[in-house]
Amino acid sequence: MSAEGGVQYSKIAEIKGPLVVVDDVSNAAFDELVEIETNEGERRLGKVLEVGNGKAIVQVFEGTTGLSISGTNAKFVGKVMEMPVSREVLGRVFDGLGRPKDGLPDPIADQFIDINGEPMNPEQREYPKDFIQTGVSVIDGMITLVRGQKLPIFSGSGMSHNLVAAQIARQASVIGKQDDFAVVFAAIGVQYSEAEYFRRSLEESGALKRSVLFLNTADDPAIERIITPRVALTVAEYLAFELGMHVLVILTDMTNYAEALREISAAREEVPGRKGYPGYLYTDLSTIYERAGKLNGKKGSVTQVPILSMPSDDITHPIPDLTGYITEGQVVLGRDLFRQGVYPPVNILMSLSRLMKDGIGEGSTRADHGEVSNQVYDAYSRAQEVRALAGIVGKAGLTEIDLKYMDVGDAFEKEFLSQATDENRTIEETLGILWKIVSKLPKNEITKIKDKYIDQYYKEQ
Amino acid sequence: MASDSALEGTIDKILGQTESNILSGLDSALSESKQSLDDSVITLEQEYDQIISNGKKEADKIEKQIIGSSDIESRNKKLTTVEESIDKVFTKAIEEISNADRSGDYSNLIKSLLDESTKILGTTEITVFTNSKDKDVVQSTLSQYPGAELSSETIDCLGGVKVKSKDGAMTFDNTIDAKIERLKPLIRKDIATQFGVGN
Repeated sequence: MSAEGGVQYSKIAEIKGPLVVVDDVSNAAFDELVEIETNEGERRLGKVLEVGNGKAIVQVFEGTTGLSISGTNAKFVGKVMEMPVSREVLGRVFDGLGRPKDGLPDPIADQFIDINGEPMNPEQREYPKDFIQTGVSVIDGMITLVRGQKLPIFSGSGMSHNLVAAQIARQASVIGKQDDFAVVFAAIGVQYSEAEYFRRSLEESGALKRSVLFLNTADDPAIERIITPRVALTVAEYLAFELGMHVLVILTDMTNYAEALREISAAREEVPGRKGYPGYLYTDLSTIYERAGKLNGKKGSVTQVPILSMPSDDITHPIPDLTGYITEGQVVLGRDLFRQGVYPPVNILMSLSRLMKDGIGEGSTRADHGEVSNQVYDAYSRAQEVRALAGIVGKAGLTEIDLKYMDVGDAFEKEFLSQATDENRTIEETLGILWKIVSKLPKNEITKIKDKYIDQYYKEQ
Repeated sequence: MASDSALEGTIDKILGQTESNILSGLDSALSESKQSLDDSVITLEQEYDQIISNGKKEADKIEKQIIGSSDIESRNKKLTTVEESIDKVFTKAIEEISNADRSGDYSNLIKSLLDESTKILGTTEITVFTNSKDKDVVQSTLSQYPGAELSSETIDCLGGVKVKSKDGAMTFDNTIDAKIERLKPLIRKDIATQFGVGN
């Protein structure tokens, strides 16, 4: 931060959507922070998107409603947008641009960090392999999250992704180690009631003191949503790499972020890509998702759980599609399970954690974890086939073993998948339930688990 | 007589059988109830453990809630107190700046502010605004800037200058107020460090 910059320009050539075109600009820089002052003296923030030919295109974060060409001034601040960070940000609630929303003063900054972050040197990256316990059985047991991973939740409109997000934020912990753990929660374009739910939920569970909340509500200007994940990740990186904490970043809902990106792209008259999203959507998303990871020689880590609601539950939609290319697996919420009242309605057959194999097993969870999880995957998959068959031939047409698989499917959904929103299961409890389900099968059907584990944990029913 | 003894024998036999039936029934009832008691002891122990473990979990949750909210509350009070103290420091500093002597080095300050402003705007064709206290100092310094003129209009500020290009397109606020505003986050940090807050 410096005292340089601060030239105010009064020639506004055009106001178009969220963009303001300023004329006769001589010294602006790409991404420079701009303060727009209205006729009434109100100040709004923006950033430079393009400069050249004496013009600067400024994207106004708080929207251009009420701005007029005459009387509006644009002050180029001389620096990019920065987030003041220190340990004091823990327990605080900010708006989508990183301004305090809890009635308390600005945090006393230890550092001012560019919100765009610095790309992680691939050579410096450390392979993620340490287990994070979320207390949600289906995630811990079958789609395990590891420190430094980026594991998105693909949901649909109206489904319970926000409940899952809040539960993970409340319960997530690093087991068996005394390392500091923190949660950075960025709500992007969520309803006021949802934002309040997140805040209350963390406050009441006592988890707020290790959390930082960034709340951009649905009625906040859409353009602010471009900034929200970036300020959240800036804070997360500081906590992780400067203070050595293990930070879980939850970003919900990334679909709203992509919509805001589309809005700006349309206002800039860029050539649209699939479904009107800009052609650089993949690149842009990667600048957010790739900020997760662990660095050699640094104690902390940044783990990301971005949540996105798929329009029309369409997994081929550009947002989940491009997200899936960048992230390391996905947790997919299923509409059918949701309609049946199952919480969390995770469709495990479409879900996957690519880094799970390195984060489980002896020394991190339990030696039998991988095998029992694979066996349950297999059994649930078979149960789904049997259910489909029963829909055609009826239950009477099924064999005894088919009926056992149907029982396994039901038990999986009722006992393992279903969980109360305030139920925090340990990994031991989770594995116990998995074994209870496996034990519903005859021993000769268990093909993916070593005999020594069967002898130890299998309890014939 | 013979028939009486046969009858008695039959009655004894029936009584004996009934007795043995009753005794075996009692035995099996006893063993069944023992078995059921043994079974229920295990269930009871499991339920007892479950209740204790649930209770512990609930207690941990409540403990976390209480500690978490009191930590946050005390931290918030500390932040508010520090901020009040910072505000007091700012008020005092601003008061001292506004009453500062305009003679001596002050003209050098105005010159450096004008140098900085003309450099940033890229021209000396400017209109300069200042407060009534600084008018004379600014006027005497302006002779060094060809094309620059002092506006008859005064502005409300602690000191320093605000310059505008003559075409009105560019303005640079280089008043002391604007400088304080730009550097406020850094100054706040320095003040807070004096109070032992932050690094």
